[in-house]
Amino acid sequence: MKTLNSTTVSKLQLRNIRNGFKFKTHFSFSNNSFLYSAKNGRTLTLTLSFSSNKTVFSKLKTSENQSKIKGNKKSLQAPTTTNIEAPEPGGAPPATGGGSDGGTVKQPPPPAAAAESKKVGSWKLKGLPKKVLAVLSNLPLAIAEMFAIAALMALGTFVPQGETPDFYFQKYPEDNPVLGFFSWRWILTLGFDHMFSSPIFLGTLSLLGASLMACTYTTQIPTVKVAKRWSFLHSAEAIRKQEYSDALPRASIQDLGVILMGAGYEVFLKGPSLYAFKGLAGRFAPIGVHLALLLIMAGGTLSATGSFRGSVTVPQGLNFVIGDVLGPSGFLSTPSESFNTEVHVNRFYMDYYNSGEVQQFHSDLSLFDLNGKEIMRKTISVNNPLRYGGITIYQTDWSLSALQIMKDDEGPFNLALAPLQINGDKKLYGTFLPVGNADSTNLKGISMLARDMQSIVLYDQEGKFAGVRRPDSKLPIDIDGIRIVVLDAIGSTGLELKTDPGVPIVYAGFGALMLTTCISFLSHTQIWALQDGTTVVIGGKTNRAKGELSDDMNFLLDQVPEIVDSKQSDIVSG
Amino acid sequence: MIFSTLEHILTHISFSIVSIIITIHLITFLVDEIVKLYDSSEKGMIMTFFCITGLLITRWIYSGHFPLSDLYESLIFLSWSFSLIHIIPYFKKNPNFLSTIMGPSAIFTQGFATSGLLTEIRESTILVPALQSEWLIMHVSMMILGYAALLCGSLLSVSLLVITVRKKRKFFSTSNHLLNLNESFFFGEIEYMNEESNFLQNTSFFSPRNYYRSQLIQQLDYWSYRVISLGFIFLTIGILSGAVWANEAWGSYWSWDPKETWAFITWIVFAIYLHTRTNRKWKGRNSAIVASIGFLIIWICYFGVNLLGIGLHSYGSFTFN
Repeated sequence: MKTLNSTTVSKLQLRNIRNGFKFKTHFSFSNNSFLYSAKNGRTLTLTLSFSSNKTVFSKLKTSENQSKIKGNKKSLQAPTTTNIEAPEPGGAPPATGGGSDGGTVKQPPPPAAAAESKKVGSWKLKGLPKKVLAVLSNLPLAIAEMFAIAALMALGTFVPQGETPDFYFQKYPEDNPVLGFFSWRWILTLGFDHMFSSPIFLGTLSLLGASLMACTYTTQIPTVKVAKRWSFLHSAEAIRKQEYSDALPRASIQDLGVILMGAGYEVFLKGPSLYAFKGLAGRFAPIGVHLALLLIMAGGTLSATGSFRGSVTVPQGLNFVIGDVLGPSGFLSTPSESFNTEVHVNRFYMDYYNSGEVQQFHSDLSLFDLNGKEIMRKTISVNNPLRYGGITIYQTDWSLSALQIMKDDEGPFNLALAPLQINGDKKLYGTFLPVGNADSTNLKGISMLARDMQSIVLYDQEGKFAGVRRPDSKLPIDIDGIRIVVLDAIGSTGLELKTDPGVPIVYAGFGALMLTTCISFLSHTQIWALQDGTTVVIGGKTNRAKGELSDDMNFLLDQVPEIVDSKQSDIVSG
Repeated sequence: MIFSTLEHILTHISFSIVSIIITIHLITFLVDEIVKLYDSSEKGMIMTFFCITGLLITRWIYSGHFPLSDLYESLIFLSWSFSLIHIIPYFKKNPNFLSTIMGPSAIFTQGFATSGLLTEIRESTILVPALQSEWLIMHVSMMILGYAALLCGSLLSVSLLVITVRKKRKFFSTSNHLLNLNESFFFGEIEYMNEESNFLQNTSFFSPRNYYRSQLIQQLDYWSYRVISLGFIFLTIGILSGAVWANEAWGSYWSWDPKETWAFITWIVFAIYLHTRTNRKWKGRNSAIVASIGFLIIWICYFGVNLLGIGLHSYGSFTFN
C-alpha cells in the first residue's frame, strides 16, 4: 500500500495543480517552488521547476484558501457581466434578440448577467423569442414531433412512392377507402405520393430541428453549467442523503482521494471535505449529439438544394460529356469547371463466379479535359466509384448494346441488340441476322438472344434452337449453311453521376454523432466525502449507471487502508 | 464437405445446449435457486457462444466472405449477439434475469434460423456485387448487435410492463394469464411466481415479497435502460456506416429505401425512449411502453421489410422458390 501511495500521491498533487491553474489569474505566485502548510500540521511539499514563466502551485486547499478563491471569483464576476451586456444597448437590439442564436449558444450569459441584461436591454423584443423557445424546448412537444416523423416515414414506406396520379386513383379508390377514410384524395392533397419531399414531412423535420436547437439552448447548456460547478458538501447528513452512501471507520480522506484518483476521478480536497467526479463528458455529450444532428440536417439540406444528379447508359467505346448528363436538384446547384470533362468508356466487362452468376461489374473510364488531354483513368466497379473535381461516377447498371459476328468469314459485323421485355427483372437482349434477299417481303434470318455477356443462344430461320456459343470461344456454328462466329458481345455500362456539396458536412455530422453517442453512454458520477473524526462519510450519485455505482464504490472503498496508528497515516498521506 | 459437416454439428450442438439451458432456467425460476444447476447453465451458454462462433468462422472460411450476406447468416449472427450479451453479465456478476431473457431469445432465433423454413437460402454463398465491400462487416455486424441489444432491452421493458400490470389487478383476474403466457412464456413464469407468493403472503405492502418485486422492477427498469443505451450506440454506428457505404455503392448516403427508413424509425423510437428517461415522471411505465413499441418496430424493420422484398436491401429477403 505504501509503495502504491508514494507514486499516486504525486499524481494527486499534479492533478490539483491542473485545477490550480484555473485561479492563476486571481493569485500569482512569483516563486517557482511552493511550500504548502496545512492547518492540521501535516506538511505537503511540492517543488516544481518550470523553465517557462508559468506560475505553478500545488494545492490541497485549506478552507481559507478556498474561501479566498470563492470570494475573489464572486467579486470578479460582476465586472465580466457588465462586459457582456455592455454592447447590447449600443448595438441593434432586434438583431441580438432574434438572430443571435449561434452567438448566444456559445456564450450564454450567466444567470445574474441575464437578469441584469433584462433591465438594460430591450427585453420586450426578447420576450417573444423566449416564449417560442420555451414552447419549442418542451419535451412532450419534441417527443410528439419525433413520433409524428416516425409515423410519416412508416406511412411513406406503405404508400408506394412516386407513382402517377392514376395509380393512386386505382389503388386508393374513394368509394372503398383503406381503413374507412384513407383515399387518393388524402395522398395527393397532402403530398404522400412523394412523402420524403412533401411539405408536411419537411415541415415536421424542421420543427424538430428547431426543437433541438431550443432544447440545447434552454435546457442542456444550463444543466452542464450546474454540473460543472463542483461543490463540497459540508454536512454528513447531506452526504448520507445521496443515492449511495457509506461510512468508513478509521480511514483517511486523503487515502480515499488517492484511490478515487487511481480509478479515474478528478479529486478536489478542501480540509475535511472531498469532492470527486468522473465522466463529466457524459453530461456534455448529449449536447454534442444534438449539434451533430443539426449538422447532419444542415448538410442534408445543402445536399437537397445544391447537388447535381444524372444517369447514363454508354456503350463500350463511346464518350459523353459530364455536364450533359447532370441535372440540377435545387436552386443552390451551380455547375463547376469539371462539368466540361469528357468521359470515354474504354471497356465494360463483368466477372463471373464459377456457377455463372455475376460477381462484379467493371468499367474502364478515361477522363479528357477540353483540350482532349487525358487527365484521369480508372476502372470503376460497384462499391468503387470514380471521384474527380467534386463529381462522383458510380457503376450502377449495365446492358448489352451489340453483337460482333463473322458471317462466312466476312466481317466483322456489329449487330445492334435490342432489349426484350420479359416477365420479372431479368434482362434479355435479342438481334436478328437477315438471310437471303433483304428486300423480300418474307424476310427470314437467324435470331440471336443473350441474357448476359457469357453465352449467345442462336435460332435458325424456322425459329428452332440451333446452338449456344460463348463469345470468347471463337467456335463457329453452321446454321442453314451459313457459318457464324460470335466474336464479342459488346456491353454498355450504366453510370450514375452526381455532385453533392453536402457530403463533407453530413460526414462531419456522422463522425460527431457516432463519437458523442458513444460518450453519452458514460455516466457522470459525483462523490462527496467528509472526514468526521476518524470516520470518513462517503456519498455519491451518478446520472446513468445507477445500478453499477454501489458495486463500483464498494470495490473502491475496499481498497481504502484502515488506519491503525495516526502517525502512520501521516506517512501514508504525506 | 468437411466444412458443411462441421457446420451441421455445430448448429445442432448449439441448438441443443440452448434448449437445455432454457429448461434449467425454468427450473431455477420455479424451484428455489439450485446453485449447481444455475452454474451449469452459465457454462452451457458459454459453450453455445463458442459453438456459434465456430459456426460463423467455418462459414466464413468456406464461403470466403464474412457470413452476413443473407437472412440465415444474419439470424445466426443475431443469436451469436444474444449469447454475447448474455455472457457479459456473467463476468460482471450481474442479475440473472438478463440470461433468463437472452436464453429464450437466442433459442428462438437459432431455432428459426435452422428450421426448415429457411433451408433454401442456407446454401447460397455468393455475394452480390453491391455487398462486396469492407463496409459489410462494419454495417451489418453493428446493425445486428444493435438489434440484439435493443431487443434484449425492450424485452426487459416488456417484462416490467407485464409485472406492473399484473400487480395492479392482482386478485381480479387470472384469465389474462394465458394471454400473457402466450406472449412470452418466460415472463409468465416470473409472474406466476409472483402471483403464487402473493397468495401465500397476503398483500401486506411491506412483505419481503413485495420488496423483492419492487426491487425487481427497479432492476428491470435500470437494466433495460442501460442495455437499450448500448444498443442505441450500435444502431447509430450501424445506420451511419450504412449511409457512408450507400454513398459508395448506390450514389447517395440516404435514399429513403424502406429498410433504411425503418431503421431510422427504430432509431427515432429508441431516441424517444431515451428522452422519456430524462423526465422523472415518465420513467418506468411510460418509457417501458415506448420500448415495447420499439420491440415491435425492430421486428418490422428486421423481418417485415424483408418479407415484402422491396427496396435496395432485397438481397436479405426470403426466397420461396
